[in-house]
Amino acid sequence: MEKEQYKQLEQNVTPKPPILKNVVKAFFVGGLICTIGQAVSLFYIIFFNFTEATAGNPTVATMVFFAMILTGFGLYKRIGQFAGAGSAVPVTGFGNAVISAAIEHRSEGLVLGIGGNLFKLAGSVVLFGVVSAFFVALIKYILVTIGVVSW
Amino acid sequence: MKLLGLMLPLLVSLTLLSGCGEKEKFVIYGSSENEKDVESILKEDYVDKTTVIQYDDSMLVAVQIKPWDKWRKTKLEKKLQKKFDEKYPNKKVFVSADYKIYYEANKIKKDKVENNILSDKITELTKLAKEET
Repeated sequence: MEKEQYKQLEQNVTPKPPILKNVVKAFFVGGLICTIGQAVSLFYIIFFNFTEATAGNPTVATMVFFAMILTGFGLYKRIGQFAGAGSAVPVTGFGNAVISAAIEHRSEGLVLGIGGNLFKLAGSVVLFGVVSAFFVALIKYILVTIGVVSW
Repeated sequence: MKLLGLMLPLLVSLTLLSGCGEKEKFVIYGSSENEKDVESILKEDYVDKTTVIQYDDSMLVAVQIKPWDKWRKTKLEKKLQKKFDEKYPNKKVFVSADYKIYYEANKIKKDKVENNILSDKITELTKLAKEET
């Protein structure tokens, strides 16, 4: 009984999260980040010898570089507070996770501090990315061998 | 964040308005032989804009696919390549739907590149389009 009472009390006190507002914020800020990414991609296509297919790699590197600078100056967390998932889902969020861990453990030394903790947050992303890519490729390989789809 | 509120409507309206400028949909450069035939091959409802560079027996076809059909970009590219290969078995035709190739092809036309370096340019762009790294 007491437990239920407490639950009720808690629900009454907890402010309602403004879900729609947060979603709209995340949508626009995430879209803005992706627009910048598209601009960087076009920059590499027009001024360097990259095609649409190959421009992805330098674009990702540049976006992570931008995230690194913003994280270093403490600006990325403000964007994160405002936009939530809109700033975490693009590749800049991944960069932020790596770099903020590196900054946090800087005082513990280069090897055991930065080296050991660099992928503390982002390690799961890398692991599950590699594992799921392996399984997707395996499924596609099997489907191609059977003859359902072509490469 | 006030700045963002000001910038967003501006950005959105700019992107919407930029679609208004209508440009030439079909461009051919180099020799203009069988211009009509090439244009009729490229008259598909998924093709937006095309630039064709011709020199001797080599032909570079740079196409831009319409936005919603871009999901099937590689397939449509192959389809067009097959159509060209059937129509001109003696010619070296290369079809690409990549924006870089389209951009460079338009640049060739804009810079009025001379005929003697045109074939080099075509081989260079063909090589670039096949790059995978």
